[in-house]
Amino acid sequence: MTAISVPMAPPSAGLVSPPRRFWLRSYLLLLRWQLLRQRRLLVLFVMVQLAIGVGVIYGFAFLVPSITPSVALFFSTGAATLTLILIGLVVVPQEIAQGRMSGRAAYLSALPVPRLAPMLADVTFWVLVQLPGSVATLVLAVLRFHVGLHISALIIPAVALTALTSAAVGCAISMSLPPMATQQVSQFLSIALLLFSPINFPLDRLPLVLQDIHRGLPVFYMADLIRGALTGRHQTSVALAYAVVGAWCAACLALSARAASRRN
Amino acid sequence: MSPAVLEVEALTKRYRKGVLANDGVSIQVEAGEVFGLLGPNGAGKTTLVSQILGLLVPDAGSVRIGGQDVTARPERARWLCSYQPQADAPVDGLSPREAVELVGRIRGGAPTAVRRRCDQLFGELDLIGAADQRVPLSGGMARLTGFCMAAVRPGAVVVLDEPTNDVDPLRRRALWALIRSLADDGAGVVLVTHNVVESERCVDRLAIMGAGRVLSQGTPAQLKADLGAPLRIQLTLDEAGSEPAGRPPGLAVSNVTGRRMLGQMELADVGDVVAWAKEQQDQGVVSEFSVGPASLEDAYARWVESPEESRL
Repeated sequence: MTAISVPMAPPSAGLVSPPRRFWLRSYLLLLRWQLLRQRRLLVLFVMVQLAIGVGVIYGFAFLVPSITPSVALFFSTGAATLTLILIGLVVVPQEIAQGRMSGRAAYLSALPVPRLAPMLADVTFWVLVQLPGSVATLVLAVLRFHVGLHISALIIPAVALTALTSAAVGCAISMSLPPMATQQVSQFLSIALLLFSPINFPLDRLPLVLQDIHRGLPVFYMADLIRGALTGRHQTSVALAYAVVGAWCAACLALSARAASRRN
Repeated sequence: MSPAVLEVEALTKRYRKGVLANDGVSIQVEAGEVFGLLGPNGAGKTTLVSQILGLLVPDAGSVRIGGQDVTARPERARWLCSYQPQADAPVDGLSPREAVELVGRIRGGAPTAVRRRCDQLFGELDLIGAADQRVPLSGGMARLTGFCMAAVRPGAVVVLDEPTNDVDPLRRRALWALIRSLADDGAGVVLVTHNVVESERCVDRLAIMGAGRVLSQGTPAQLKADLGAPLRIQLTLDEAGSEPAGRPPGLAVSNVTGRRMLGQMELADVGDVVAWAKEQQDQGVVSEFSVGPASLEDAYARWVESPEESRL
């Protein structure tokens, strides 16, 4: 038999129960796993997001011929919100579906990590990837349309809550539907978000029915939270916006956690 | 006798489609022992392992690890067990070292201890050269990386689902030694394998499973003794399916696969059996044959081929 020189830790030592700060530790290690595994494409991902940011500012000018500073303000702040929501509703469910097919999800499910930690690590990764693009969009908007920004510290909780809530919604959808259905639903949602959601334009432009529907959905409040934190101007009460988005976030996280710990 | 680190009692699992995958399975694995789970495809080995790890909920029965019932608390099972799944670990984009170190850290290991253990495992398996490469891994390399991910910070129970598949013979030898050393260091190792011949040297006890049940369990010596025939003969037939005629009564054929025929016999019957085999060879029905002491493979073949008959 081969000689083993380094003594192993006794199997029971430290493994019977989770180590201290188990949640944070698992989350950071899973985030590192995600960063290492995607590093080859990281630059490409960031470039694409930058291109989208530039495209939004220059592209919308073709769509809407006369862009006033207030329209530009909606577009540039709306673009940041829209990409955050799309990450949660489209990219995260796709990652989950792909993880299920490649066996990554099954492998992670046998590791001692909190059930929602892999999803949170994925969301964080994609938000980090998207961040340079959002910043570029805003900088360009300021340069090209002389949009006046008044950025407050509330931008951090606003972005975090928006990203987390969208991902929780996406996660809840993808865990309760088969992969192909998930794809269809997320495609439908991205069109609905782009054309029928008060992200790139004010709420009162929508028909009354859609306005009422949006008062119960988180999208309008997400856009308002981010726009408010970037410009200092809100369309609705900040407390109400946090309450609605927070409630959606909690409900969908609870659904996702239940789905993630469901066993056959 | 040291206390059992894993106690599986009367575990029963029926899948939604009605397949009874585990039917009252009971096994006990002690700390410091390698326990083999052998059986043909579909015998219920992976279902059993999934229930031990808390990935599947049993319909009946219990799983206790280190004296704690983990059936209702799967998160405890994940701390107490480290696991190499049957499918390759998802290490795309990572070097073997990165993957193994990440799992070691996730399982609560300190960075330096994990790195040292990593060096040791890669050293033993002669993988130092490949450890830092991020190229897509060959089947064998992926398998070994998966093993290291389970062994870098072993749990009280280490579950290995077919760790030797696709691994080259030299590294397989080192792998068997490492599996043995996991048990020597105090873990209870559950080893699912189809490699009956090589596992005989590594396992302390084993269970042979078939159709969701444990057909027989014990040490390799006990299982061989249960055969009641200490010698084996292996014949290579000239043509698959052409079974030689006029078999002597002392020969119990346990397994025929393609051109290979396996049988067992008592010491007193060796003369008759060898004479018959020689005659078959002269007639061209058998191309070659060999006689030796009965092995674990003989016991396995007997149980798997005809479980009803073996139980008599």
